[in-house]
Amino acid sequence: MIRFENVSKTYKNGTVALRDVSLNIDKGEFVFLVGASGSGKTTFLRLLLREELPDRGRILEAGRDVSKVSSWRVPYLRRNIGCIFQDFRLLPNKTVFENVAFALEVIGRPRTTIESQVPQILELVGLAEKAANRPGELSGGEQQRVAIARAFVNRPLILLADEPTGNLDPSNSESIMALLERINRTGTTVVMATHDKALVDRMRRRVIELDHGEVVRDQVRGVYGIDEPIGGR
Amino acid sequence: MRVYLRYAVRETLSNLWRNRMMTIAAVLTVAVSLSLVGAALLLKQSAAQASAQWQQGTRVTVWMQPSATASELTNVRSQLESLPIVKDCVYYTQAQDYQEAHKILPLVEWSVLKVSDVPSSFRCIPTVPSNAFVVESTFSNQPGVYKVTAPEQQIREMNRAIRILQIVFLVLAAVLLLSATVLILNTIRMAIFARRREVSVMKLVGATNWFIRIPYMTEGFIQGLLGSVVAIGAVTALHTWYPLHNEFQLNTGALVGTNVVVLVVGVLIGSVGSALAIRRFLDV
Repeated sequence: MIRFENVSKTYKNGTVALRDVSLNIDKGEFVFLVGASGSGKTTFLRLLLREELPDRGRILEAGRDVSKVSSWRVPYLRRNIGCIFQDFRLLPNKTVFENVAFALEVIGRPRTTIESQVPQILELVGLAEKAANRPGELSGGEQQRVAIARAFVNRPLILLADEPTGNLDPSNSESIMALLERINRTGTTVVMATHDKALVDRMRRRVIELDHGEVVRDQVRGVYGIDEPIGGR
Repeated sequence: MRVYLRYAVRETLSNLWRNRMMTIAAVLTVAVSLSLVGAALLLKQSAAQASAQWQQGTRVTVWMQPSATASELTNVRSQLESLPIVKDCVYYTQAQDYQEAHKILPLVEWSVLKVSDVPSSFRCIPTVPSNAFVVESTFSNQPGVYKVTAPEQQIREMNRAIRILQIVFLVLAAVLLLSATVLILNTIRMAIFARRREVSVMKLVGATNWFIRIPYMTEGFIQGLLGSVVAIGAVTALHTWYPLHNEFQLNTGALVGTNVVVLVVGVLIGSVGSALAIRRFLDV
């Protein structure tokens, strides 16, 4: 589903964000991306969204070479990728329903589709009764669930999450993770960058650790820290 | 397509309403700037028209000696008629000039005047006012010619004044147009800056650039349209009520032309301005 071949990225100010990264993520995998701040996690995700282009190497996403997608095709590429962020990125003056519907409107889905799909996905994230509220009236955990609903409503192949639990307390983080696992079970590939040690250790999923732009660890059923190496490379 | 149309209309209207203060500011900016531009254009046309009319009225007069012979008269007449720079000539006989002198001179002076003392004259209109000088230099030394008169100094000064006036109005219009463009660009950019979050979310969920751009362009278009409608009102009011001297009074055609320019410029500034303003928020 996602394949990095010797990918390097250096920013204009000279910061090396990724150095010769090669890895492969299969369809339906759940992958944690860990590492200190500035280790290249966010760049990794930005490259997948084609917000940045690699300086060297090749990125294949759903069989397509991301660098070769012409700029006007980028929106179509992004329709296969859902993403959620630490700061939710909801539109404050739209209701929960409108926020989720927005994602479908933008890609030109007819109203009948919107009216059937949005309630369905809000049901899935457990916010059906908050459809008419605005994001400001919701808790952080609820807002993140709206963001997940928006990212998942058009059934993308890949879901990217950039520290989705960074602003949440443990119990809310728990429900977000449960939701992501559920989405993962539908066959969607999930890539999640995180600092949350407890979460990673409990989930026992594949862990890719970046350090100064290099992959220093890739464990199948890994934990956050390198102090207890379990499983193979 | 229908879905998008509905989306674009709804988005445009709600944006206009949500940012109504900004909308009013933009509309007023366009209105004021374009009113001034329209007024400047109108005044420029007035000046040009007045200048043309005055120039048409420029005459050069070839006064003949009262004693001029018939052959001298015929000679001057045929020369005037064959001269390409002379558009039209009318011959005033001694009797006609005598009658005219009656209108111009005080009675005491006129009463001592006899018809035979009065010079006959050719009243000629040159094709271009400055040609009056050529006529003057050609004919003043011809046999039988008493004097050639042309309002040369006035013509020169008038032409210069009109030319300066036209340049001033044009420069004024250009400067105003530029400032209007910058103001509108800035207004729209501020409006989009306030909604950059929305734009980034749209990009994130896979909206195409045109999808994002069109509602903003429509918004700018409407702002430009409303502004130019107000400006058209102002220009028309100026044309209708501002007391201008006869030669300056323009016909309706010129007014309509000016208003069309105002409308087109307003609408273009609005839509192209917003397209330019949104550009930098689109390369994410």
